[in-house]
Amino acid sequence: MSAASKKLFQAARSLVLSASHRSVLAAEGRTAALATLTNFGRKTLPTAYLSYHKQGSHHAASGWGAIAAAVPAAVYMLQDQEAHAAEMERTFIAIKPDGVQRGLISEIMSRFERKGYKLVAIKLIVPSKEFAEKHYHDLKERPFFSGLCDFLSSGPVLAMVWEGEGVIKYGRKLIGATDPQKSEPGTIRGDLAIVVGRNIIHGSDGPETAKDEIALWFEPKELVSYTSNAEKWIYGVN
Amino acid sequence: MSGSASRKLFQAARSIVLSASQRSSFSVLAAEGRTAALANFGRKILPSACSYHRQGSHAASGWGAIAAAVPAAVYMLQDQEAHAAEMERTFIAIKPDGVQRGLISEIVNRFERKGYKLVAIKLIVPSKGFAEKHYHDLKERPFFNGLCDFLSSGPVLAMVWEGEGVIKYGRKLIGATDPQKSEPGTIRGDLGVVVGRNIIHGSDGPETAKDEIALWFEPKELVSYTSNAEKWVYGVN
Repeated sequence: MSAASKKLFQAARSLVLSASHRSVLAAEGRTAALATLTNFGRKTLPTAYLSYHKQGSHHAASGWGAIAAAVPAAVYMLQDQEAHAAEMERTFIAIKPDGVQRGLISEIMSRFERKGYKLVAIKLIVPSKEFAEKHYHDLKERPFFSGLCDFLSSGPVLAMVWEGEGVIKYGRKLIGATDPQKSEPGTIRGDLAIVVGRNIIHGSDGPETAKDEIALWFEPKELVSYTSNAEKWIYGVN
Repeated sequence: MSGSASRKLFQAARSIVLSASQRSSFSVLAAEGRTAALANFGRKILPSACSYHRQGSHAASGWGAIAAAVPAAVYMLQDQEAHAAEMERTFIAIKPDGVQRGLISEIVNRFERKGYKLVAIKLIVPSKGFAEKHYHDLKERPFFNGLCDFLSSGPVLAMVWEGEGVIKYGRKLIGATDPQKSEPGTIRGDLGVVVGRNIIHGSDGPETAKDEIALWFEPKELVSYTSNAEKWVYGVN
C-alpha cells in the first residue's frame, strides 16, 4: 500500500465511519467504498453515475479508484447523514424448516424483493441445537425455549440479510403477528400459516437484535455490497 | 468415533452406499456417513419410521441414523438406477442482470414448484479471475472476455438444485441460450430479450455440474436433508 493510497484510504474510511455507525460496513475498505457507492447512487449526475458504477462495481484492481471517488460522495453522506443511515439498515430474516419444507422459499423472497428491499446475503443451513440456542438466547427462560430450539434445528433453514430503508420494522410488518391467527391477510403469516408453532419465518425485532443475529449467522465476507439498479427508482425525490 | 463397533458399522454402511451408486458426485454425500444416511432414506419410509427423520437431524444421534441406513441400503440396491438419478444435482446461477432486475424469487419459484430441492445457495460478486475459471471451457471464443466481464460486474445468486433429471430438465426450464429462440414458458423465453442478457446459467452435463458445484461451493455448504415433498414428487403406485 503506497503512502498516498493509505492516507486516502484512511480519510475515506474515517468519513464513512463518521457518517454511519454500522461497523460491519467499515470492516473492509472495499466494502466501505462500495457502500459509499450505494449512497452515491441516490444523488448523482447521469454521466458520473455510469462511469462510477462501472468502475466501482467490480475489478479489485480498480478498488482504489472507487475509494477516491468516495470522497465527493462523502459530502452527500454528511448532508443526509440521517437518511443515509436509514438506507443502510439491514435485517436478519430466516425461513424456518416448515417454510422450506412447504416449498415457500420463492413466495417469501418475493415479498421482500417486490417491496424493493435488497438481498445482501443468503444461505441454506441445518442449524445444530446449540446454534439454535444461541439464536434464541433471549428466550432462554421461557417454557417454550427448548421446543423452539428443537424445531429450528430440525431441518433446513434459509437465512437471509435484507437491506433497505426501514427494513427492520417493515420486515416485521411483512411477516405479520407471531400468532398467524392474529396476523392480517396480506402478511406472510396471515396468508401462509395457521398455528403459532409453525409460523414459517423469523425477523429481527430491532436494530441491536438485527446486528447480533446477522453476526451470528453470517461472516462479514458473506455480506455482499453492490449498487442495486432499482435503488434510484425506489428511493427517489422530486 | 465411538468404538470399533461403530467404525465397522460406518464402514459397512459406506461401502454399501458407494457400491449402490457410481456417480462420483455422490462422493460428496458419502463423505459424511450421516449425510449419506439422511439423503437416501427419505424416499421409501414407513410412517412408523418418522422418528428416524427427527432422530437423524441432530448431530448427537448421528450413529443411530447410520444404523438405520442399513435397511435403507436394501432399497438402494433394488432401485439402484432410480436412486442414482435422484442424487443428480445441477449448478444454477442467476446472473447480475437477473439479480438487478429483481427476478430472484421468480426464478427460484420455477425450480421450487417443479419439485426440485434446494441444497445450497449464496450471493456473491465474483472476481474477474473467478469468472474466467467458471467459463474456462469457452476460453478460445471471441466473446469470452465479455462474458467474464459481465459475470463479475455485479451480484450473482449461485444455487445447487437436486432432483431426478435436474441437469437436463433444468436446461429445459431455462430455455435456449438466445432468448429470441427460447419458448414461452421458459425462464429466458418469458424474461429475457437479448442473448447478452440472458439472465441465468445452468450446467450442461453431469461432469460440468460436478465441476461447477465444486468451484462455487465448499462441500460443507451443500446441505442434505429429507424434503417433505419427496414422497409426493417421487411416487409410485
